[in-house]
Amino acid sequence: MKKVIGVLTLVLALTLGASAQKHKTDEVSFASSVKCGMCKKTVESNLGKEKGVQAVNVDLKDHTINVVYNPKKVSKDELKDKISKIGYDADEVVADQKAHDALPGCCQKTAKAHKD
Amino acid sequence: MNRLIIAIFLFHSAAALSQNVKGKVADQTNSAIAGATVSWAGKPQTAVMTDENGMFSIARIPAEERLTFSFIGFKPDTLYASGDRFYVLIMKENTTDLQEVVVKSAGTALDKMSPIHTQIISSKELLKAACCNLSESFETNASISVGNTDAVTGSRQIQLLGMSGSYVQTTTENIPAIRGLGQTFGMNYIPGTWIQSIDIGKGVGSVVTGAENMVGQVNVELKKPDLPEKLLLNMYFNTFGRAEANLNIARKLKNQKWSYALLSHGSLLKSEIDQNDDGFRDLPKYQQINLLNRWKYSGERLMAQVGGRFLSEDRAGGQTGFKSNTSTPGLYGFQNNTKRYELFSKTALLFPEAPYRGLGLILNGTLHDSESWFGKTPYFGKQNTLYGNLIYQDIFGNTNHTYKTGLSFLNDVFDEQYGSIFLDRNEVVPGLFFEYNYKNTDKTSILLGLRNDFHNLYGNFFLPRVHIMQKLAANHTLRLSAGRGYRVPNPFAEGYGMLVSSRSVRILEDLRPEVSWTFGGSYVIDFLPNLSLSGEFYHTRFENQMISDMEHDGYLYFYNLEGKSRTNSALLELTYGPVNGWEFKAGYRYVNNKQTVGKPMGEKVLMDKMFLPQDRLLLNIGYSFPYDKWKLDGTLHVNGRQRIPVSHPIGDDMSYAEMTSQYAPTYINLNGQISRNYPKLEVYVGGENLTGFKMKNPVISASQPFGPEFDAGRIWGPVTGATVYTGFRYKIK
Repeated sequence: MKKVIGVLTLVLALTLGASAQKHKTDEVSFASSVKCGMCKKTVESNLGKEKGVQAVNVDLKDHTINVVYNPKKVSKDELKDKISKIGYDADEVVADQKAHDALPGCCQKTAKAHKD
Repeated sequence: MNRLIIAIFLFHSAAALSQNVKGKVADQTNSAIAGATVSWAGKPQTAVMTDENGMFSIARIPAEERLTFSFIGFKPDTLYASGDRFYVLIMKENTTDLQEVVVKSAGTALDKMSPIHTQIISSKELLKAACCNLSESFETNASISVGNTDAVTGSRQIQLLGMSGSYVQTTTENIPAIRGLGQTFGMNYIPGTWIQSIDIGKGVGSVVTGAENMVGQVNVELKKPDLPEKLLLNMYFNTFGRAEANLNIARKLKNQKWSYALLSHGSLLKSEIDQNDDGFRDLPKYQQINLLNRWKYSGERLMAQVGGRFLSEDRAGGQTGFKSNTSTPGLYGFQNNTKRYELFSKTALLFPEAPYRGLGLILNGTLHDSESWFGKTPYFGKQNTLYGNLIYQDIFGNTNHTYKTGLSFLNDVFDEQYGSIFLDRNEVVPGLFFEYNYKNTDKTSILLGLRNDFHNLYGNFFLPRVHIMQKLAANHTLRLSAGRGYRVPNPFAEGYGMLVSSRSVRILEDLRPEVSWTFGGSYVIDFLPNLSLSGEFYHTRFENQMISDMEHDGYLYFYNLEGKSRTNSALLELTYGPVNGWEFKAGYRYVNNKQTVGKPMGEKVLMDKMFLPQDRLLLNIGYSFPYDKWKLDGTLHVNGRQRIPVSHPIGDDMSYAEMTSQYAPTYINLNGQISRNYPKLEVYVGGENLTGFKMKNPVISASQPFGPEFDAGRIWGPVTGATVYTGFRYKIK
């Protein structure tokens, strides 16, 4: 039983420790080729898993990707690069062609404007 | 799907043309909305759906003139439809809400529409237990428990509703998979990374898949050839020295109609693990190669799949240092070499003009060849199986009344030898089945099934079954089921773990098929979309059952039941989440399984089944950080006391009525896992049995394995202590 409590405490400590890790964060917004809900999901779930990224929100009205990140772990340029590798433009950095072509049809740049 | 909606629509319009309100639903650009729900206010049971052109027709009901409209992504609307005209409703898009929609799904969900109480374990839930095969996939599940059959072979068996896994039909994509001689190690033959999802049906199953789903059905869906995941590489290591590698490849060919998948698995354990220093390996050394290749064709009128599978596994357990009976003759060894070859095909004819109609054919041929040695005693088992199932599906009048009917064929050729006992059997079983399903929107679903198997050896088996699902209120669902099932038992494959002993095996008579009736039901309350409470109760009784009797030390008897055998099981399960990344699950299960034993002494004594904890508690907590970057998961099992064999003096003359009972203590098992996700890579570290609890003397008389008291089949708890594992999954979509 002691061991159980020990492990549970450890898990709890890890959880709290991780959420207490609030370093100084920066926020940045990139203009991008995002089109629809599918794009939003792709960008958010992929970019959200990258090192140093704390929150991602794709705004489909303004066609922007807004990122909250820890500048000690990742730079703005690296973020642009990562967005490009997912298949989307980020400001002046154009989407990686291969990644873009692999996106679903509705997320291709040639797709007509649509909402979902 | 659209065509189905049209079908429903057509029926409705034809049935009551004059008293119907008709109209059209469109969006602001005047494009038709298909699939929108139209119903009279406050009467959801009147609901109809719009067709491809946005058209609807709904029968008038007295005293209600307000029609309500709803569709995902649009604001619900209401309209006064008192007159006799054509109504057009323009629905407004609910843009603000849609922006906020984040798809979150729970790891386990109930199939809401199924008349059979069916739990679906998604791939997300399966990731919580990274290791390694089907036998380990139920770690976070309250209904199914998995345990070792003995301390030597590594064989694991599931248990559902307080009953052994042999009464549960295990299928892969509705093809019977783990049955007959394959049951011994079958749970180890389906690698975890091959699994897409698992459906657990509780209570008696559908007559369409056969007779053997007596108390439940576990259907495993494998990774599909035409899903986006093109490549998955998984490697796994644990502190015992177990290593696994899995590689799945799936690809669609250029013409988009053909796709293929290759699922491969290799694993081994080569180290000597003897944590309790009893001179016996706690885990057998083993190696397994497992390959599955299948091709899928999807056309408009034809869907087809063909594939093959190969499995080879070698196990060597027993005393440390054991190599083989010839090179280390003084040591007690356990060996098993199994080879399996399988070919399968699934074909379905579709009728695009009548989407409710279908004709399907499933064919499967399996060769199972296994050779085992328990010390100096050999056991050879061969089983050749041919299986075919032809299913025709159609409707009576409209899609509220559907039915499936067809023919099945099963041929099992068994050839077994244990020591000097020979068991040969050639079963030829043609069968007929018919299943009618009545559905009233999503409120009521009634399934009536009839099956008749014409068994060449055991005669006719008539199997009626009924399943009812009824929504009693918006969030309350009641399910009831009852039905008969049968199977032919295989004493050596099912009692395999008990053979690792000096027990003398006695089959007292010709073993007849096991025939059961299972009754039961469940009540589910969904308080919130992500908070639900489910209560279940099932009762099983046997007309005949194979009794495996190890009450007398030194003897293992198999005989037909004479008297009662009944099992009650209840489960209460609470699930909550996902909410803010948290998921919580708590389950309490009670079982009471009593069988009549005593035939060797001419007695009838009702006794609790051994190795079955009466109470079991499960707690599972998971937390995932935003975007699933990090995931934490912990599972706690509390296994209550269970009856275990008492050591009597060796001898077969003790009366059952005078036997005393002995119980194993309650123990706790804790598992935990942490994983880190990258866009294409997932890395995990976890621990199993973290409390480190293990049985003190899992092998009785370990120092004299050739002596009369040796027994490794009295296992009620873990044999090995804590283990830590790590691994990764790399995916390309």
